[in-house]
Amino acid sequence: MEFLLEIKVEEMPLAHVRTALEDMSEKLKKELASARISCDGLRRFSTTRRLILTADLAAGQADRDELITGPPKAAAFAADGTPTPAALGFARSKGVDVSQLQVVTTEKGEYVGVRKAVKGRSAADILAETLPSIITSLSFPKMMRWGMGSLRFSRPIRGLLCLLDGNTVSFSLDGLVSGNRTTGHKLHAPEDIEVRSFEEYRAKLRERFVVVDADERKASILRQIAALVEPVKAEMYPDPALLDKLANDVESPFVVMGSFPDYFLQLPLEVLSTAMREGQKLFSVIRSGKQLPLFLGVADVVGDPKGFIRTGHERVLKARLADARFFWDQDLKAGFKKRAPRLKQVLFQEKLGSYEDKAARLEKIVAYLCWKVETCKSARELAAAAVLCKVDLVTDMVREFPALQGTMGGLYAKAEGFPPPVVRAVAEHYLPVSADDPSPASLEGAILSLADKLDSIVGVIGIGVQTTGSSDPFGLRRNAQGVCKIVLDKKFSLPFDRLVEKVISVYGDKIKRPKAEILDQLREFFSGRLRYLLEREGIRYDLINAALGAGMDDLYRVALRARALDVLKAGPQFEPLILMAKRVNNILAGQTAPAVNPDHFVEKAEKELYATFTIIKENVGPMIAKGDFVQAQKIVFRLQPALNAFFEKVMVMAEEPKLRKNRLALLQTIHKMLLRIADYAQVVVEGEKTGK
Amino acid sequence: MSLQRLILNLHHFWAGQGCDLAPTYDVEVGAGTMTPDTFFRVLGPRPWRTAYVQPARRPTDGRYGDNPNRVQKHHQYQVIIKPSPADIQSVYVRSLGACGIDLHDHDLRFDEDDWESPTIGAWGVGWQVMLDGLEVSQFTYFQQAGGLEVSPIPVEITYGLERLEMFIEGKDDIYDLQWSDDVTYRDLRLDEERQFSDYNFNRATVKTLRSQFASSEKEAKMLVEKRLPLPAYDQCLKCSHLFNLLDARGAISVTERVKMIAQIRTLVAQVARVFVAPDSPAEGAA
Repeated sequence: MEFLLEIKVEEMPLAHVRTALEDMSEKLKKELASARISCDGLRRFSTTRRLILTADLAAGQADRDELITGPPKAAAFAADGTPTPAALGFARSKGVDVSQLQVVTTEKGEYVGVRKAVKGRSAADILAETLPSIITSLSFPKMMRWGMGSLRFSRPIRGLLCLLDGNTVSFSLDGLVSGNRTTGHKLHAPEDIEVRSFEEYRAKLRERFVVVDADERKASILRQIAALVEPVKAEMYPDPALLDKLANDVESPFVVMGSFPDYFLQLPLEVLSTAMREGQKLFSVIRSGKQLPLFLGVADVVGDPKGFIRTGHERVLKARLADARFFWDQDLKAGFKKRAPRLKQVLFQEKLGSYEDKAARLEKIVAYLCWKVETCKSARELAAAAVLCKVDLVTDMVREFPALQGTMGGLYAKAEGFPPPVVRAVAEHYLPVSADDPSPASLEGAILSLADKLDSIVGVIGIGVQTTGSSDPFGLRRNAQGVCKIVLDKKFSLPFDRLVEKVISVYGDKIKRPKAEILDQLREFFSGRLRYLLEREGIRYDLINAALGAGMDDLYRVALRARALDVLKAGPQFEPLILMAKRVNNILAGQTAPAVNPDHFVEKAEKELYATFTIIKENVGPMIAKGDFVQAQKIVFRLQPALNAFFEKVMVMAEEPKLRKNRLALLQTIHKMLLRIADYAQVVVEGEKTGK
Repeated sequence: MSLQRLILNLHHFWAGQGCDLAPTYDVEVGAGTMTPDTFFRVLGPRPWRTAYVQPARRPTDGRYGDNPNRVQKHHQYQVIIKPSPADIQSVYVRSLGACGIDLHDHDLRFDEDDWESPTIGAWGVGWQVMLDGLEVSQFTYFQQAGGLEVSPIPVEITYGLERLEMFIEGKDDIYDLQWSDDVTYRDLRLDEERQFSDYNFNRATVKTLRSQFASSEKEAKMLVEKRLPLPAYDQCLKCSHLFNLLDARGAISVTERVKMIAQIRTLVAQVARVFVAPDSPAEGAA
């Protein structure tokens, strides 16, 4: 039968709506499954003011026949068949007449028992019981309380509608009681309405200016936009994130198109689109890649017959663009490069100094990076970009539109005639902002971005600021993730410790924590971010552990090791090698051994293993050096038969200490070589237990 | 239509909702949130309903009367209701109707915008209310003030009076607004904007401001020790305004800025703790 749940809330942000629907569906399915209630065709709908689930549920649990066993037959009946007090007592305790007892044969012998029908509970009862705890268990990145403030949620909950087969499922939550009523559009149809089914709910809300399906609202927005731009032969500049936000934020989407005076088109595109997107949430309109003096806005109304909404947006936008133009003119007049000294007035971090200090460090770090990255031929341009990249922080435009940092730097540098590599590096040095964001397209941008992020991370951790999940004021996680992403995208092979030490040395006496301590923390910190990116590539967590276990020598090489394991994991030679490596590991645990002495080998199998190993070691070295870990592993696979024979025929823990030490030494050298490719012991293998 | 009419309409509406109409506070503040009628009312368990007009001074926003939208002093209409009522959103919507706005012709939106004031250790969850793309109010459920969790939860509604009136009158220039039927905003405020812009940016004596900041801070510390949170808080507000003036004079260095904000925040947190302490004379009297 049909289940319908609507949680009415005050306007929830899109991200919260998404996680709420996701978590709620998963939890409901789980609860119903454990209550043995079938649940089919679960569907989710939402607006910023409603979370909606509907599904087809079984009416209730199936009735069951339950067999309850009592005392043994011998104790229950006398020889003549009359029931004993034990039988009478058992029957009474189960509420049946003694004549209803039956004999049951079990493994332990014959017993008396009684068969009773147990009525299944109704789905409505189970829903009423579980829904409140499901709703209160939902969690959001930022939670709030309201009113008397006992419940924590994303935004205040203002109504509950819950139906099963047309009947109200009644439960209470934080003073609210669920019912069969809801309301339409906040402004245009706020009256209560009663519903009995999802179809009726959906239809009645549609009449009352609410479209419950976000995809339908999105399609409607796009359709209306197409109809508006088609006559002027233009198109909307695509902005999927804004479209999703607006489709969430309105219940009754209505698109308005308005215009702004032509003379604002002198402003750079980036400035125009930011001024439109932020604040008013407007789309830009373009024709063959060129901005037109038009905008598209999405309102939560039925129409705009008097044009108030369009003219309102036009008035606000005009004021914003007038401000933007004022800032642009002022900034150009004030000059860009010559304002660099003003960075002295902008604090980066209290103990680490101003942005002027940062720029000076960046100059040194990009020089080092450019020297380390073979393809880098633009040391001079990078030095210039390092000095300029933060100057836009003191421009009026960035103070007004912080999202334009970097972008404005690039535009102002260009206006002042700096060469393209400098302009690109400045413009791109904040990228990537998130894991889904692209890395800088230019090599210069990538290097400057790496330098900036490493400088922040090493500096802030260097002075002992601790970051936790909830407190990361300098965005160190995001920065570290950016570093990993750039290194992977640009295939930069950089020695990790040396790089960190370089940045520490650039800070001079500002960083007082011991170098080793900082390095330890940073290896750990970066492993976490790198792991996240590699998991996104679909690599198994244990393979990532194995790659990281071989050492945090170089972020790019860790990734190459993990990817090699991922490529080879399905092959027939993989598992035997892992098991063998684990065995080597186990034997070596806690043992120390001197260097191998080939003269001390006596058994054929150990001599052969040593010979095979020597050849493999020679072959594998160059592969490791050039980062071809797939090839390196393939070579190492050849060690497996010799190792196998060794374990079968040779007693490692020999009585004779000289023999024993030498055999352990051999395994130790092998272990060391393997560890340059991966810490195989961390790979999880099916049937691992039998292998041991 | 005039700003005065708007204020009267809001007064009438919120008084009808059981709010006491508090007088404007007489110490300079950057926002209505900072006045004692909000700061102290949101702390502690007692229910409150308060509404008032508060001038908000932001020296760095001064434009010598040349900018149609930016001024160093604007006016906020502040409403505080604790605990927040279940129907507060629709009450707010009705208040716009009471101001003469026919919402059937307009797009009213609650757009995610959480609010935070590090200086007074306060944050809340809420929205900026957009009317045809213009931000006319801030709507916030307080969660913390003075570094303390608040309970029950107050709702704060702050109307930007000039913005709202520009919307109602359909004007593009703040100085063209009517204050009353025969007095314009220009008549009342233009000179003030010019003179204060000059004072804030050019004339204020930095040395004097600094010594006033130090005196107010000292006074606040003394009053916290004497367990007099209300006068102590006035001194915190003075510090905050002096800081804003120094900032407008471009007199604050990087490290100093962080230090001064931290100084005020620490004082405000102490004030809040004294205020809610069980033996506090202030809470007893309140």
